Amino acid sequence: MSFLADLDPKSFYNAEPGSPRLYFMIFLTVVIGLGVIGVFMVAPIRMRRPIVSVVTFLAGLFWVLEFTWPKAIARGPLDKPNGFVEQVGFMLHDGVPAVADLANTVSSFLLGLGVYSLLRVHLRKVFKQQKDWSFSLVLVLSLLTMVAFGYVDWNMRLGVNGAKLDDPSQWGNWNYGKDLFFDGFLQQMDAAMFSMIAFFILSAAYRAFRMRSAEATILLGAAFLVLISSLGLIENIVNNWVMNTLAKGDGNSFWVNFKLTEISGWIKDTFQTSSIRGIEFGVGIGLLAMGLRIWLSLERTGGQA
Amino acid sequence: MANDKSLGERLQSMPKASLYMILFAVASIPLFFPVKLPNKPIAPAVDFYATLMKLPTDKPVLIGTDWTVSTRGESGGQFEALLRILMERKIKFALYSVGDPQAPQVARDVVGRLNQERKAMGKEPYMRFRDWVSLGYYSNAEGELQVIASDVRRAFANRLDFPEGRPPTDVFQSPVLSGIHLVKDFPLLVVVTPSSTNTITIERIGDKVPMMQAVTGVMIPETNVYYASGQLKGMLGGIKGAYDIENLMDTGINFPGPDGKIAFPYEKYKEGVPPIHVGKIIGKGQAYFATLHYTMALLILAVIAGNVGMWLSRKGAK
Repeated sequence: MSFLADLDPKSFYNAEPGSPRLYFMIFLTVVIGLGVIGVFMVAPIRMRRPIVSVVTFLAGLFWVLEFTWPKAIARGPLDKPNGFVEQVGFMLHDGVPAVADLANTVSSFLLGLGVYSLLRVHLRKVFKQQKDWSFSLVLVLSLLTMVAFGYVDWNMRLGVNGAKLDDPSQWGNWNYGKDLFFDGFLQQMDAAMFSMIAFFILSAAYRAFRMRSAEATILLGAAFLVLISSLGLIENIVNNWVMNTLAKGDGNSFWVNFKLTEISGWIKDTFQTSSIRGIEFGVGIGLLAMGLRIWLSLERTGGQA
Repeated sequence: MANDKSLGERLQSMPKASLYMILFAVASIPLFFPVKLPNKPIAPAVDFYATLMKLPTDKPVLIGTDWTVSTRGESGGQFEALLRILMERKIKFALYSVGDPQAPQVARDVVGRLNQERKAMGKEPYMRFRDWVSLGYYSNAEGELQVIASDVRRAFANRLDFPEGRPPTDVFQSPVLSGIHLVKDFPLLVVVTPSSTNTITIERIGDKVPMMQAVTGVMIPETNVYYASGQLKGMLGGIKGAYDIENLMDTGINFPGPDGKIAFPYEKYKEGVPPIHVGKIIGKGQAYFATLHYTMALLILAVIAGNVGMWLSRKGAK
């Protein structure tokens, strides 16, 4: 079964990758998309909730049916559906890429929405010279610089010699600029932000991890054993001591169970894994209930439209 | 006044700035002196290595790469080790991302860096489009993974990659994906991720293709559930995982070295899995493992100090 994007020969609904026609179609889609959003925004408030409910229900219905509907086993590319059940099954299966493409497109709008929101908030701050407006200016300039260098670099890679740019010795100024901003600044600052967590973990563990009760003591003991078992140096010393001194080199001795790796493995396999399974099972049921409520528009805690 | 405090009180209230200074020193000094610490690879890492070494060389591996530089110590080390093994065994691979828009660029940078390394060692670089392809980023993880599971050709339809000397070309014209029609045509899917895409991938593709995952340290408990159940053929967790696989690349499993001795005996793989020598390099696992040791030791000492302080204070109060 062909969906619009798969039509061959190409028609109004699809186009060759990279062709001007495709870019025109993308432009048209964006305009129509913005138009729909605009219409939705000026629609009377009472109409918005039913529209959202219907769209949510239809979107969810597809995945519910795709998951629950009987599927054809070992279906070949030229097989025709036999009867209603198979026909629907084929249609749902063939529709997955089209629906996923749609979902990817909608998700991509969120990126655009994020950029729009960021620019709106910070440009207003800059133009009105509100408190800390200089930081906002840095943010906006950084955003625009990254977009400019990233776009030029990407465009250069689209050419016949694009693959050569994988080798830094072939780079020009724009490529070096993009590398400086992406790898030199963005990625390093990302790593720096993330590494700060270590300081908070140490400070929090030092202040909070106290043996104030029996439960806290058990928790601390288990954490201590698992922690030191991941330190190869200490693990090696303890395990060798257990094997040589307690087990006297006998691999079948009872004392082998007291090797650090055995104890931490027992804690992880017996308690940790089963506890996490239990928690995830509970979370799964909770998610199912929440999913049903959202799908059927019973969940109204997100604010009134 | 601070001097009026008892030892117990002082042990319980070390200034935050001092703790931070000590941590900074403990974390950064070992980075300048990478040492090889004793280590015994754990079962999930051993299975990870053995699975990679037993892969057929005529089929490509699908790799989900969702990490960025924020977790380079863990994911970066695991990813580099994974690619080094695949490159050394001349196994083609395809990269896709569903977790972070920055991830494809970060992964491509690693391939570029490893190619520089290969060139320096006189080895042939891994050519884009011929030996590996980048399938790009997809913003909707659930939907895209569902399509990969149901029809991999349509999941990556119209994706272009960059062959040398030619304009961008459909990835399915690449030798990498030439024999791929369904996701099960890949002998293996490896997901390198610091985010929830590990569980989403298991939910959507778990029953379609053998899978392994490389995750960060904090994700080990939740991911271990899937390794224990057999849904994952192997797993690397955190810096220890990166160090484990680097060690296994040196020693192999149950495999006699030049001196005839087995460096890493392991019951499960009696037949032995050979080491794979990629040249004299210091992997991220080795570079950061000492730091992990010292920072964890500091954490343990800090917790012990706090508890001793509490105990002394209580004793003094009685």
